Amino acid sequence: MAARRWSERAPVDYSELQELVEHHIESYNFMVKNGLDVMMDNIKPCRQAKISYTGRFEADVCFQYDGNPIVRQRFNFGQFPIMLKSKLCHLRGADPKKLVSLKEEAAEMGGYFILNGIERVVRCLILPKQNYPMSMSRGSFCNRDDGYTDKAVVIRCAREYTSAFTDQSSITVKLYYLRNGSARLGFWSLFLCSYSCHKALVETTDREIYQNLTCYYDGKSDKTKGAVATQLVGERAKIILDEVRDLSVFTRDDCLQHIGKHFHHVMDGLENETFINKLFSFVDGTSAPDNPDSLQNQDILLPGHIITIYLKEKLEDWLRKAKKLIQEAVSKENFDFTSLLDIKKVLDKNSPSQIGLAVENLLKTGRLVTQTGLDLQQRAGYTVQAERLNYLRFLSFFRAVHRGATFAGLRTTSVRKLLPESWGFLCPVHTPDGEPCGLLNHMTRYCRVTSFFDSQGAVKDFFNIRKSILSVLTSLGMLSALPKVVQAGPPKILSVLLDGRVVGSFPSGEVEKVVAHLRRLKVSRTSVIPDDLEVGYVPLSMGSAFPGLYLFTSPSRFIRPVRNISIPSEEGQNIELIGPFEQVFMEISCPDGGNGGRRDAFPATHEEIHPTNMLSVVANLTPWSDHNQSPRNMYQCQMAKQTMAFSLQALRFRADQKLYHLQTPQTPIVRTSTYMKYNIDEYPAGTNAIVAVLAYTGYDMEDAMILNKSSVDRGMCHGQIYQVGTSENYACIYLALHGIGAFMQLHTETIDLAEESSKNNESRRVFKRSNVNTSVHSTIDSDGLPYVGQMIHPSEPYYSTASVNDISPKPHYRKGSEPVYVDQVGVDMKNGQKVNIRFRHPRNPIIGDKFSSRHGQKGVCSQLWPDIDMPFSGVTGMRPDLIINPHAFPSRMTIAMLLESLAAKGGSLNGKFVDATPFSISVRKNNEESANSESESLVDELGNMLRSHGFNYHGVEVLYSGVYGTELTCEIFIGPVYYQRLRHMVSDKFQVRSTGTIDQVTRQPIKGRKRGGGIRFGEMERDAMLAHGAAYLLHDRLHTCSDYHIADVCSLCGSILSTSFLQPKIFVREFGGLPPARTAKKVTCHACQTSKGMETVAMPYIFRYLAAELAAMNIKMTLKVGD
Amino acid sequence: MEGVSYQRFPKIKIREVKDECMKFELRNTDASIANALRRVMIAEVPTMAIDLVEIEVNSSVLNDEFIAHRLGLIPLTSERAMSMRFSRDCDACDGDGQCEYCSVEFRLSAKCLGDQTLDVTSKDLYSSDHSVVPVDFPDSTGYDSPEQRGIVIVKLRRGQELRLRAIARKGIGKDHAKWSPAATVTFMYEPEIHINEDMMETLSLEEKQSLVDSSPTKVFDIDPNTQKVVVVDAEAYTYDDEVLKKAEAMGKPGIIDIRAKEDSFIFTVESTGAIKASQLLLNAIDVLKQKLDAVRLSDDTVDADDQFGELGAHMRVG
Repeated sequence: MAARRWSERAPVDYSELQELVEHHIESYNFMVKNGLDVMMDNIKPCRQAKISYTGRFEADVCFQYDGNPIVRQRFNFGQFPIMLKSKLCHLRGADPKKLVSLKEEAAEMGGYFILNGIERVVRCLILPKQNYPMSMSRGSFCNRDDGYTDKAVVIRCAREYTSAFTDQSSITVKLYYLRNGSARLGFWSLFLCSYSCHKALVETTDREIYQNLTCYYDGKSDKTKGAVATQLVGERAKIILDEVRDLSVFTRDDCLQHIGKHFHHVMDGLENETFINKLFSFVDGTSAPDNPDSLQNQDILLPGHIITIYLKEKLEDWLRKAKKLIQEAVSKENFDFTSLLDIKKVLDKNSPSQIGLAVENLLKTGRLVTQTGLDLQQRAGYTVQAERLNYLRFLSFFRAVHRGATFAGLRTTSVRKLLPESWGFLCPVHTPDGEPCGLLNHMTRYCRVTSFFDSQGAVKDFFNIRKSILSVLTSLGMLSALPKVVQAGPPKILSVLLDGRVVGSFPSGEVEKVVAHLRRLKVSRTSVIPDDLEVGYVPLSMGSAFPGLYLFTSPSRFIRPVRNISIPSEEGQNIELIGPFEQVFMEISCPDGGNGGRRDAFPATHEEIHPTNMLSVVANLTPWSDHNQSPRNMYQCQMAKQTMAFSLQALRFRADQKLYHLQTPQTPIVRTSTYMKYNIDEYPAGTNAIVAVLAYTGYDMEDAMILNKSSVDRGMCHGQIYQVGTSENYACIYLALHGIGAFMQLHTETIDLAEESSKNNESRRVFKRSNVNTSVHSTIDSDGLPYVGQMIHPSEPYYSTASVNDISPKPHYRKGSEPVYVDQVGVDMKNGQKVNIRFRHPRNPIIGDKFSSRHGQKGVCSQLWPDIDMPFSGVTGMRPDLIINPHAFPSRMTIAMLLESLAAKGGSLNGKFVDATPFSISVRKNNEESANSESESLVDELGNMLRSHGFNYHGVEVLYSGVYGTELTCEIFIGPVYYQRLRHMVSDKFQVRSTGTIDQVTRQPIKGRKRGGGIRFGEMERDAMLAHGAAYLLHDRLHTCSDYHIADVCSLCGSILSTSFLQPKIFVREFGGLPPARTAKKVTCHACQTSKGMETVAMPYIFRYLAAELAAMNIKMTLKVGD
Repeated sequence: MEGVSYQRFPKIKIREVKDECMKFELRNTDASIANALRRVMIAEVPTMAIDLVEIEVNSSVLNDEFIAHRLGLIPLTSERAMSMRFSRDCDACDGDGQCEYCSVEFRLSAKCLGDQTLDVTSKDLYSSDHSVVPVDFPDSTGYDSPEQRGIVIVKLRRGQELRLRAIARKGIGKDHAKWSPAATVTFMYEPEIHINEDMMETLSLEEKQSLVDSSPTKVFDIDPNTQKVVVVDAEAYTYDDEVLKKAEAMGKPGIIDIRAKEDSFIFTVESTGAIKASQLLLNAIDVLKQKLDAVRLSDDTVDADDQFGELGAHMRVG
């Protein structure tokens, strides 16, 4: 029956999951769709072959020379990496069944690249919001030049092509305020007079400029609410106009000349008067500076965008170079431009395939190799390896958003602060503690990123979108910005900016109505207004943000859904997508927060869909996280990502360097609604252990925990590590074997003989077993490779190789300190020269392994306690699997863990899973307020459930001592808790040594676990020994076990360096059968030319080394040897 | 010293015996004996279990250790185990554990040829000794088809194969849980419940009802005829003190008095099927005796007579 149920199971819906990584894929899709013409190549299982998943990248290049006909030629730009499940990927659109047949995960979501067999993701980065002027003050602005103040308005302008597409390349423009009241425009390292820019942009007169600059000041409304201009603007305008007179540029052409040719790169989205007025009001304190660290003023940089930008630059470089080459060729003789062959020959010097390579390198190393910087803050760290340690970790790579590497080095902590603006977009719980705390954030469950595609998957036409928005606005009574009429500014009139461009203005009283109307259009399906339009209405205020109506349609903004409750619900759809910019000025109520101190004057217009929407996927999996102390939830988010779990379903077809795998995972009894939603059951990560909370033997002190030996015997938390390769050991072997100092990049157990032999200039090498040396036959099969399933002990041979004409194959020995099983041997069918050997390390729980519940309660196993000695319940006979100490609770306040124990106990008695979605009580309360039913507390509900099954209301039970059989004096809290096995295991960490390798120079033990080194017995340890007076032990540690050395000292000259052995040339007489008598060793001093007065002294070898070093500096060290 | 004897004569009264479970009373002894019996039943009664697996072919999805571990956990009928030898001290086979006195060989060979998933179960294990076979569960609850019974070891899809040889050996649960014949052994002190009828009369019916309901297990009830609180099932009491707390909260402490009888125990034994539950008890007593004999006969005991004093004498007598 059970078998049938499985097959009949409804097809699992992975769409929720897939949505989580959509921003990665969509951005890549866009890049592919619009930037490139990429040809598909055959796609192989790249992960196993350790190669990259790429496709050929070709493009038509047109040449035109002196009006000659255009010459078209197709060039191959090399192999271009393909993102999995993107439009180019052959997995695109494959359903789970097809994915499985393609040897992929059924829940494969894609979004990453495969490069040399390693999966890498591009990290999402935070960038300043595009096309939005931000006022800020920085001390460094003063240093630009004389007269600069620390105040400026900064805008990151994104480039637009023909108003329809933006390729997300951008440039940051700053408008500085000068001490004399003027302003300067700066980008890159150019500083321009604001006037000349202004004039260069549009044909305008001085009078218009003056009016534009002063229009925000009406002469009297200085202190009223929302006024942003003071009477100083007039004077400033005069200064600005005067300044130009000195430069003697008057017409637009003059200005253009003055500025040079650079400007047209930049000027998109740049509207001077709001820009300058914002600066002036900022300087005067009538508007507050914008916080660049707040999510309100931030966008996101997606993988597709960075690749597009990078690719564009590389292509430009290539074209420039090509042009130069052709020009050179043309200047020479016998070059026929119309002949394709000639052109090809010339361009061969400029290899086009380097472009594909450059992109691959970007993804491989995460480093941007660029001269211009592409307006990005950092050079490195753009990609990271997507580890498949467990599913949650893997998923988190796609939900992570990094603030930028430049901020990691900053000593200030303000960038790391959790700001209220990020509510609902970035998870407040899911950030690592320690070094990247607050910089590496994770998007919340429902946070999405706007893309180039609309909901139907078609590319958005931004030009049309803007046009329709404009027409809607005009129909609402917007005064268009063109033709220009002199108008007033705030507080009377608010200007409307669409993607950073001033498009018109509204009387300030009407804006609210307009906003409400726009929101209604946004939500309704039929309107032309896109549902992800950001309607950022900054209202009038006293000295707060600069007012205006800011509309954004651009891609790569954060968005999230909320319920719009101001729209009558009969319209059906009332889920609105909002962005972080508009959110700040919206009234959104949350079921858990009451009315949030909201007064009646500002009723809530929107409502959170569910309070858990503020949490990331991982944070959402913590049961009843609202009952825990908040740092514990943070710890859980980290530990969930270090859990040994059911890592992969397609395990068999993988050759990852290291994979942790849990043998018998279970699904949690107590789970949140998120658990089912994202199908975490496909990759379960723990065990429902029966946990007793008591101080039993003392072995559970200080976060240690006792495991029941029988439970472990029966398979609890069993697991293994799959490993392909043990890193650099192999390179060493090869170096030693072939005696060649070439650098070998053989990092894994992937043995590629072709690569090797080509490096070593040897003939073809093959795997081969020696027929002579039969001792290796027990571990090496006739093909020269190990037997599958074979256990290999350290320093046993497991494969052997030989060159074709060589008769004696060389065996290769296993490094490492523990026996392993050969799990899989994969041979590349192409030539049989490339082989993957996958090992399996058994990792069953032992003392020292780390475990954790889902509530940040981690502990180390201190004993595997015999089952019979464990306390048992008199009624059920149940013995706990695990004992933890009650002291783990009072200070940590992880109440949810207690609740989980209660609920799981009740749930297992009921045979039902228990829903532990946080905040569900408050949601229910909200819903039931109208229904007026009684709402009991959670504990009461769980307690009664236990009671109805004949168990104690509080979850405690009477236990009997397993050793004495007597009743324990107090009742014990016992119940099932979902426990995770963390990947930190003693077997990978323990370090012991008595003797072993020593350093050649100092003769002291070396360090490093891998090399069999010791742990340093340092100064503080020495101090402790001294304090205890443990002289003998100290001597043992620091001398006997270290660099104990017996030196010969010449007592005449006191030197230890000038003594040496004299090889006795005495004839050794052999007595029949007896070993030759040991000749007394003779030591002489070279300095004194005598062997008299030689003494032996025990000393640390390092002392002799010191003497030698001193001698090298011409300093003699003498020892006075006395009795 | 002489003359004082602490010797007692424990009695066992069997209440219920089935193949796989049993309930009995143990009287006239103390917790140490009861617990010793429990511990021996769990950890020291020998059984047979697969201990050595030689895998010839394994193309299933589970790795070799996993399958070996699963095989080990399959209970084997072990009536003969008491008379068998531990392979470590078997004289007949140099301790390599491959003779009839200490080991039983199993073979398993399964290959899936059809399109349907093949369940390899404990039924596919072929034993060289008909007295040591995987435990058969007679009640087919949950499975409708008779051939589907048995413990699933691994599931094979088309083309996958599992072929192995396994050797079962005698062992005890102390070494590994797979040799434990007992699924659960537990005992509780027999409770003695006294109801103070005089005080109980002072309670109203509702109060009585709430008192009765305060116990999560059904220990008390109200006689529908006399409306008196009566003990219906004293042994359902779990020593949770809920009733006592309730009585105290009602302001009537002492209305009900519950005591544990220090010398009588109610045992529940559940067997894994390796040995019948009744046999398990007998074997446990045998093992316990052997252990005591070992103590009594060892040279140390005689030497340590002074130390043990009358305990040593006691043991030699009994």
